[in-house]
Amino acid sequence: MNLIEMNSICKSYRNIGFETQVLKDVTLHIKEGDYVSIIGPSGAGKSTLMAIMGCLAQPTKGEYILDGEEVGKLNDRKLSRVRNEKIGFVFQAFHLLPGVTALENVTLPLVYAKNPPRNIKERAKELLAKVGLEHRLHHTPGQLSGGEQQRVTIARSLINDPRIILADEPTGNLDSKNGIETMKTFDNLIKEGKTIILITHDQEVAQHAGRIISIRDGQIASDSKVSHEEQNRSL
Amino acid sequence: MFSSLGIAIKALFSHKMRTFLASLGILIGIASVIVMVAIGKGSQKEVMDVIAGMGENLITVNAGEMKRRGGRLRLTGNVTTLTVRDANRIMEEIGEVESVAPFEEKRMTAKFGNASAETSIAGSTFDFHSIRSYHLKSGEFFSERDEKTANRVAIIGMTAVKNLFGEEDPLGQVIKVHFIPFQIIGVFEPKGVDTNGLDQDDLVLIPLSTYLRRIVNQTFVTRIFVKASSRENIAKASEKIRELLRENHKLTDDRNDDFTLISQLDLEELKKETTEMFTKLIVGVAGISLLVGGIGILAVMLISVKERTREIGIRRAVGATRRDIVRQFLYESLIIGFLGGGMGVALGVGLTLGLTLWGEWTLILDSNSIWTASWACAGIGVLFGVFPAIKASKLDPMEALTTE
Repeated sequence: MNLIEMNSICKSYRNIGFETQVLKDVTLHIKEGDYVSIIGPSGAGKSTLMAIMGCLAQPTKGEYILDGEEVGKLNDRKLSRVRNEKIGFVFQAFHLLPGVTALENVTLPLVYAKNPPRNIKERAKELLAKVGLEHRLHHTPGQLSGGEQQRVTIARSLINDPRIILADEPTGNLDSKNGIETMKTFDNLIKEGKTIILITHDQEVAQHAGRIISIRDGQIASDSKVSHEEQNRSL
Repeated sequence: MFSSLGIAIKALFSHKMRTFLASLGILIGIASVIVMVAIGKGSQKEVMDVIAGMGENLITVNAGEMKRRGGRLRLTGNVTTLTVRDANRIMEEIGEVESVAPFEEKRMTAKFGNASAETSIAGSTFDFHSIRSYHLKSGEFFSERDEKTANRVAIIGMTAVKNLFGEEDPLGQVIKVHFIPFQIIGVFEPKGVDTNGLDQDDLVLIPLSTYLRRIVNQTFVTRIFVKASSRENIAKASEKIRELLRENHKLTDDRNDDFTLISQLDLEELKKETTEMFTKLIVGVAGISLLVGGIGILAVMLISVKERTREIGIRRAVGATRRDIVRQFLYESLIIGFLGGGMGVALGVGLTLGLTLWGEWTLILDSNSIWTASWACAGIGVLFGVFPAIKASKLDPMEALTTE
């Protein structure tokens, strides 16, 4: 069954009277457990596609069925709940709350969860331990290195046990060592059955995924499977 | 819901200076309102005390019509119809009247040795001091015998004492008024000014009979002081006095009264009007200062929203609804409002108590104004927080995240 089903998605922005079409008729299906890279030059519409996939924006036209639910026309409250429960975001700029400890940053999504679990702190500690930060629980983002911040972000994306991880240039702000660490973490998440969508402009990073979708001028330019040899080579 | 509150408190706590400055407008507004209301209440009480000090359950019958001129009540014309006989009939025929004192006064020069001073020479009867609450500091009041024989004795007020005698003891001394010698048999305790600001201690009181026969040679008086038997009976007594005087003065229905009745209640009513004006003024000032305070909150909240655009994006991304964001910022402005209100109440109450304790002020704290002020603060906090909060919630999450 398709976890993500986008049919003829269009997105346009109105700016001072001019209408700019960012996505033109994108049709895209992603199965549960897939590891997909979305690749393309800047301005191609990657970010907009991610915003729609992540329910941060809604399509102007078209149908988006996420986990069997048409989310393209949900109201803000329901859409926020989908974001909260089904999607974990990993951002290039980390986007952690400044001045707040790693532990609190990780639990942030549960502040807005409808039925938060009881053992919130334990769960957050577990996840931070999983990304190797058990000794950094009470550090604020300012006191953490870039790689550590990214790991906090990953822990945060997992706190509400989402089906999909949306990663926007996750290695963009990291050195190569931390970049490799991050990609390894994603490989492990795939083994746990998560669906990962990786948005990047870096061909090499994209090779980690089992499928590469290339976007150009708001349309899908190519959609290809990556052979296991290639996947392994990039590791 | 509580989590939004927690977030708001944390955010405010991490910007202590800004939070304080935002609440400063409200703080000053509330504090000044509380102090002003206390001043208003205090001066009202002072005025009421003066009115009560003029004599308990007092009704004043003035000869002629009285009109307000220049903010004060003044007699018009020279009416000669009010007499001692009127006073006697009021005393005898009206049950609600406890005592009466016909009264006449004139500013004249009194002399003692080489010293001379203009003062109010007043003539009245024995009950005058009890009706008008004049107490004796030393000596004694004149007797009914003094009245009958039109004896030349006088009781003197403190201002007149100061002007004529300086530091000397006036008791037993002889002063001259209109070339007639009077012996001082008593001295009044000081009473201060009346509601019109006139010095009530600048007088020399002599028996009315002496006054009418020896000084002015007339039969009418300008005033009769009447003491009603109780506060409840003031209105009833006034009405009966009016009827009696109209009948006594043979006034037909088409003619106006040739006298004016002013009771303690009338005076209180009159002063209340002034106080109410003052209250309205305070409310106006309060409104303006709260508006200014609210605009302070508005500005700070708008800055806060702008500054935390990225935070809003992050919260939205992890599942915050627009409503969550609205709530978070509304709580912030509400808390700022309450904080300003709380500190304002503390400052206002502190100032009021301080001024009462160390200053020469009569201030009365009004719990009503404090309550109203507190609720107004909450209202202002929400009212001026709504716009920034909605603005924050309307931010596009994606754009908010990419804002530097």
